[in-house]
Amino acid sequence: MLLEIRDASVNYGKVSAIRGISMNVPDSGIVTIIGGNGAGKTTTLRAISGLERLKSGEIWFDSERIDHLPADRIVARGIAHVPEGRRIFPDLTVEENLRTGAFLRRDQAAVEADLEVTFTRFPRLRERREQLAKTMSGGEQQMLAIGRALMTKPRLLLMDEPSMGLAPIIVEEIAKIIQEISAESAPVVLVEQNAELALDLADYAYVLETGNLAMEGPADELHDNEHVRAAYLGV
Amino acid sequence: MVELLAQTGLNAIYAASYMSLVAVGLVLIFGVMGVINFAHGELFMLGAYTVVALYADFQLPFLFAVAVGLVFVGVVGLGMERALFRPLRDNPLGGLVASIGFLMILQALAVMGFGVRMEHVPPVTQEVIVFSEKVRLAVPRLFVIVAAVVLLTALWAFLKKTRFGWALRASAQDPEAAALQGISINQTSRIAMFIGAGLAGIAGALTAPLVSVNPYMGHSVIVSAFIVIIVGGIGSLEGAVVAAVAYAFVHTIVTTFWDGVIADIVGLSLMLVVLIVKPTGLFGTADRA
Repeated sequence: MLLEIRDASVNYGKVSAIRGISMNVPDSGIVTIIGGNGAGKTTTLRAISGLERLKSGEIWFDSERIDHLPADRIVARGIAHVPEGRRIFPDLTVEENLRTGAFLRRDQAAVEADLEVTFTRFPRLRERREQLAKTMSGGEQQMLAIGRALMTKPRLLLMDEPSMGLAPIIVEEIAKIIQEISAESAPVVLVEQNAELALDLADYAYVLETGNLAMEGPADELHDNEHVRAAYLGV
Repeated sequence: MVELLAQTGLNAIYAASYMSLVAVGLVLIFGVMGVINFAHGELFMLGAYTVVALYADFQLPFLFAVAVGLVFVGVVGLGMERALFRPLRDNPLGGLVASIGFLMILQALAVMGFGVRMEHVPPVTQEVIVFSEKVRLAVPRLFVIVAAVVLLTALWAFLKKTRFGWALRASAQDPEAAALQGISINQTSRIAMFIGAGLAGIAGALTAPLVSVNPYMGHSVIVSAFIVIIVGGIGSLEGAVVAAVAYAFVHTIVTTFWDGVIADIVGLSLMLVVLIVKPTGLFGTADRA
């Protein structure tokens, strides 16, 4: 397993956000975490990338325990995180945003090559290269956030609600990109409220309910599960 | 009249130069660390005393003393980051209170080391550039102007053209998102603090022969710097420079034609007007204000 979460709990003050969660992410494919508002999906991702500390439990990445490391060291290990709400740097240009993703990299030639790959993958970003990131549309900003994460040259990509607030046609485009990334670059952990989309894309799924792991299994099996259909797919 | 205006203009450019150095450092520290460094005026004072000690007392070369002032005060800034601001990072009010305490410590140390008397630093050179009978610029003032232009240009290039510059700006805009790119807030805070303190230090060092150096000289500088920052917009480095120039012109002109106290009142009134008309400052965004 590339990533293992063992019996992890996170508290915000006295309120518990996730309780005793265990998850595995293999070396390839897409794993999704679905669940309602406040189920603990975002907290789980934030704990993996070091933005939240565990109250108990462990997180292992590539046979190394990482749950005590600060966020900037975890990126160095190869975990990139596309945060909820995109969180691009509004007053940096598109190109500067992408280059901050390569902050830790010393392989200058490969960075330039990856910048070219990113611009080929997202032609809109090339057009807007010199523009301030805040002047772009939501879909373009999401692509910038994904591009920035890929510039870290990740071995695992965490994505928090990439479809949030986007038009259906853009969501389709993002979905295609997620599949490409998992096929060509790195396995993906996808957090989504849009469970239909998430289960379509993913190989394996975890269902969180109010901080607890309620269910897990291959995505197509969960897709046909009575409870999941009633609670998350609205059928 | 034309000559008087020209002379006032030169004086204002000189005042704007050292004021921008102080204000830009203050903005940089606030932008990256989210803390208002009240001890910034005392870092200016520390730079001036470096020149008093090395150049006036030990007779070392002036430029050497200025360089030491930059580095020494920068290092004091690093110490402040580590000892005061980092432990208090989640508590902006705590950082502010700690910096007020540190300001008093620095003043007390200056009194203990040098006494409360005003130090007169011998002029580096008596040379004056004479434009006309009544329009003159003392060469030491020219040093300050040149240094400010060079340092601010270098800072601008650093922020726009280097990866640590992008990191600093990214960190100022969203520290958490920056951490997700591998940019450590400790690292960017150290850089911001060293540069910010160092700029205050060199401003104090360069102006030491032109003003009376005393342990409380930081006070008037910090008041001007705050006015400049509030007028310019709290998050904006460009705003700080533009506001420093504008404020220096207004202040110098009012001082020349009326007097210094009225100039202070006018400066503070301008700040009030800006706060009422555009609370984020002329160039600021509301984000961190």
